[in-house]
Amino acid sequence: MTRRELRVMFRVMSAVFVCAVIAVGCAGKEQAMPPDSGTPSGSQSDASGMEGIMTTGSRIESARARPQNRQLSAYADLALKRSGAGPALAPLSADEELWVIATPSVDDQKSRDDDSPGSGAMVASFPDDIDEKTGAAREIPLPLKHTAVNARIDGYISTVNVRQEFSNPFDQKIEAVYLFPLPEKAAVSEFLMIIGDRKIRGILREKEEAEAIYREARSQGYQASLLVQHRPNVFEQKVANIEPGKSIDVDIQYFHTLAYNDGWYSFVFPTVVGPRYNPPGHSDPIVPVARGSAQANEKHTTVPYLRPGERSGHDISIDVEIDAGVAIEELRSTHEIVASRATPESATVRLASQSTIPNRDFVLNFQVAGNTVKSNLMTYRDPELGQGYFTLMLYPPSDNASLARRPMEMVFVLDCSGSMSGRPLEQAKNAVRAALGQLREGDTFQIIRFSEDSTQLGATPLPATRQNLQLARQYLRSLRGTGGTQMIEGVKAALDFPHDPARLRFVSFMTDGYIGNEIDIIGAVHDRIRDSRIFSFGVGSSVNRYLLERMAKEGRGAVAYLGPQDSATNIMNGFFKRISHPALTDVSIDWGNMAVADVYPAKLPDMFVGRAVVITGKYLGATGNITVSGMAGSKTQRLNIPATQNDNSKTSISKIWARLRIADLTDRQAWEDDTHGELANAIKNTALEYQLVSDYTSFVAVDASRRTDGEFGVTVPQAVPVPDGVRYETTVEQH
Amino acid sequence: MRALIVSLILMGSCCLGQAFAEDDSVRFSAMDIYLTSAEPVAAWQFELNDHHGLMKVVGVEKGESAAYARVPYYDREAVRLGEADRIVVADYSLADVARLPSDRTRIATVHLMLSGDDDADFNLFLITATTYDGLATDASISFEVQTGSEQ
Repeated sequence: MTRRELRVMFRVMSAVFVCAVIAVGCAGKEQAMPPDSGTPSGSQSDASGMEGIMTTGSRIESARARPQNRQLSAYADLALKRSGAGPALAPLSADEELWVIATPSVDDQKSRDDDSPGSGAMVASFPDDIDEKTGAAREIPLPLKHTAVNARIDGYISTVNVRQEFSNPFDQKIEAVYLFPLPEKAAVSEFLMIIGDRKIRGILREKEEAEAIYREARSQGYQASLLVQHRPNVFEQKVANIEPGKSIDVDIQYFHTLAYNDGWYSFVFPTVVGPRYNPPGHSDPIVPVARGSAQANEKHTTVPYLRPGERSGHDISIDVEIDAGVAIEELRSTHEIVASRATPESATVRLASQSTIPNRDFVLNFQVAGNTVKSNLMTYRDPELGQGYFTLMLYPPSDNASLARRPMEMVFVLDCSGSMSGRPLEQAKNAVRAALGQLREGDTFQIIRFSEDSTQLGATPLPATRQNLQLARQYLRSLRGTGGTQMIEGVKAALDFPHDPARLRFVSFMTDGYIGNEIDIIGAVHDRIRDSRIFSFGVGSSVNRYLLERMAKEGRGAVAYLGPQDSATNIMNGFFKRISHPALTDVSIDWGNMAVADVYPAKLPDMFVGRAVVITGKYLGATGNITVSGMAGSKTQRLNIPATQNDNSKTSISKIWARLRIADLTDRQAWEDDTHGELANAIKNTALEYQLVSDYTSFVAVDASRRTDGEFGVTVPQAVPVPDGVRYETTVEQH
Repeated sequence: MRALIVSLILMGSCCLGQAFAEDDSVRFSAMDIYLTSAEPVAAWQFELNDHHGLMKVVGVEKGESAAYARVPYYDREAVRLGEADRIVVADYSLADVARLPSDRTRIATVHLMLSGDDDADFNLFLITATTYDGLATDASISFEVQTGSEQ
C-alpha cells in the first residue's frame, strides 16, 4: 500500500465511519466468487502443473472410481428390483462406472412431482438419476441450483463466503425455502441479495421484525430474502417472488475457528441437515418429512427429503485458500480434492467434482509441522472503542506423554435409534470393540444403549476382565438400530450412577446427534456431569456437530468424528492414546498486563496431549506475557506464552468472541431461569451490536425498486438428500 | 476529527402513493442517492432519516461506480438505536483517481419500508466527501425515489 493510500485510508477511517462498520468492510473478501464451471473431474494432474490429490475417506489414494458409484449402484439395484425388469445388479467394483441415460418426458414429470407449482417446468437432466419404476432419469425441479463455497483460512481462523443460487424452473412465481446447515461456531455477519448485477445488502433486525418485513414484502410482490437461525448450526433461507425463469442469489459470510487435534487442523463445511427426532411435547421441533408431504406447515420447521432414487439439480463447489503460517505437511479430505501449493505454508484446494451430491460433510484436514506449532495469542483492538479482543490457541506440553496412566471407568453410550441403523451403528460398534481391546486390568466399563428407552450391560460398571469383555462383545452383537432418539434416557443412565473416585470416568456418547431438543440434552449434561468427562464420537456423514460439541464443552472433554469410511479402530486407538496420559487439569491462566473479561469457555477444559484448546475473550490494557498453569498428575506445570503484536486486520476475532458469548448465553438458558428474559435480551443485544444472526436476530433484504406482477406464488421447499449412510426408510418414513 | 463538513442538508418530503398491501399503510420505496462533486470522490458518508418516524431500512444497494466495488456498509448503531430508523451509509475506494466518480453519480440506493398514513418527511445529510488525497471536497447530495418503486 502506498503512502497516499495509507493517508486516504487514515482520513477516511477516522472521518467516515463509526466503529465496526468499516472494520467489517476490511475483513476478507466481500462475497463469493462465481462458480468455476470448468472444474476438471477425476484428474490427478493437469497441464498447469497443479498437484492433483484425490482422496477417498480419510486417506489419500490414486484416482479410482467415481465416489457416487456405490449410490448409483444402489439406485439401479432398487429400480430394477421394483420394476421387475431383471435381476439386481451386482455391486460395482472400484474401477467400474454405471451410467444410466434416459430421456425425460413431460408426462412423467407431471405425474411424479406432487409439489410442482405447475406444468412447463424447465428441468435439468441428470444422467445418474434413476426412476424407481422405469429406470428413466428422475428429475426433481427445485429452486436451489448451486452452492458456491469460498473459504480463506489464516492460521486457525476461517472466513467463509457461501453463495446460494436460486432459480425458478416453473411457470409461475415461487418462494424458495431452504433449510441448510452451517458450522456450529459460524458467526454469520454478512448477507447480500443479488438480482442480476445488482447487489443489495441485507439489514440485521430483531427476528420478529425481520420476518414481518419479509412477509409484507412477499405479499406485496417485492423480491425479498430472509435468513433465520433455527439452531446454531441450522439456518433457513427464504427468497420471495422469484419470477419464472429468473434467478436470485444470496451471499452469506461467516467466520469461525478451526479445531486442532494431533497436528491436524480441520475445516468442515456441512452440506445437509440430518433428520431430527423430536421427543413428544418438544416445542420447537425440526421435523423430517418426505418431499411434497402434507406434514409441512408453518408451525414446524421441516426438512423435506428426497426419496430414494430422486435427485435435485443442486450441486456444490468448494474452494479453500489456506495460509497456515507454518509449513503444511499434508492435506486430506473426505472428498476428492485438487490442491496446488504456491509456498510451503499455503495451499489452494478445491472440490474436484462440482457434481458431487451434497449429502455429507466436506472435511478438509491439513497437517502442520509438529515442531513449529506453538501456543498462539491473536489480538484485535477496536480502534474506536479501544476494546480489545483475543483468541488464544493453547497447545498442551507434549512431555505429559511420558506420565503414567490412571485407572479408568469407561462408559460407552450407543445411540441405537433408527437413523443409526446400518453403517453408522456398525461403525459405533467397531469403535467400542476397539476400545474394549484397550482396557486394562484395574479399569471398569459399562455399555448403555438408548433409542426410545435405555438398557445397559451391567447393573454397575464391570471390571475389565476377559470374561466381562467377552460378554460385552456379545452384547454389542445383539444391538439393532430402530425407533426414536430419547437421548435424555442415555444421558441419565450414563451420568446418574455414583462415580468411583479411584478411577477417571470417561463417558463416550456414540451418536449421529439427530435430535431436535438439543438444549434439553445440554441442560441435562450440565446438571449431571460432576466429575465425569465426556469424550464423544459423532458417527456418520452429516453429524449434528452442534450437539456433540456443546456436550463435550459441558463435559470438559472433546469430540472425535467417525465417518462411514473411517477406520473405527484407528480413531478409537487415537482416542485412547490421548486419554491414557494425564491431562493438564485445574488449568488457570495468569493474563499478566491484560485486564481480561468475558472469557469463553468460562470453565477451562482439561488439556490433553495433541489436543489444542481455543480460548477467546475481551481485554483492556496492553498485551504481555501469559502464564498457563495446571496439574499434571501431582506436579504443577507452567506454560509461558509470549506477547504477540496486535493485528488490526483481525476484525473477525471480535465477531468470533460475540458468537461464543451468544453460545454461552444460549447454553445457560438450558439450566437458568430466564423468566424475565435477561439472557434472551443479552443474546439479542450482543447479536445486534456485533451484527450476527442468532435465535433473536435475522437478516432481511428487500428490493423495493420493482414490484413483480401477480400473487406471490407457491412456496417450494428445497428438498435435500438424506445424509450419506442414513436410511430413508428408518428416518423419514418411520417418523 | 477535522474537515468533517456537513456540506449540504437536503430536507425533502416525498409523497408516496397508496400501497396495494395487506396492510394498506405499509408500502415500499427505493431511494436513489446521488452525489454531485466537481472533483473525483474517494470516500463519502451520508445520513438518511425521516422526521415522521415512518421508515425502516430494508436494504442498501451498491451504486453505479465500478471504483466502489463493494456494497456500502451501514452503521449498525444508527439502525439499532434509532426510535424510528435512521441510517448512516458510507464507503471508500482506493482506486486510481481516473476511475473515481465525479459530477453526478448514484452512490447507493436505499430500500425502505414505510408505514402509517402520513407522508414521509426525509432528511438526507451529506456528512463528508473526500478526494483522492483524503481532503474534504465540496459536494452535494440529493435523492430520487425510483419511479415504480412506490405503490
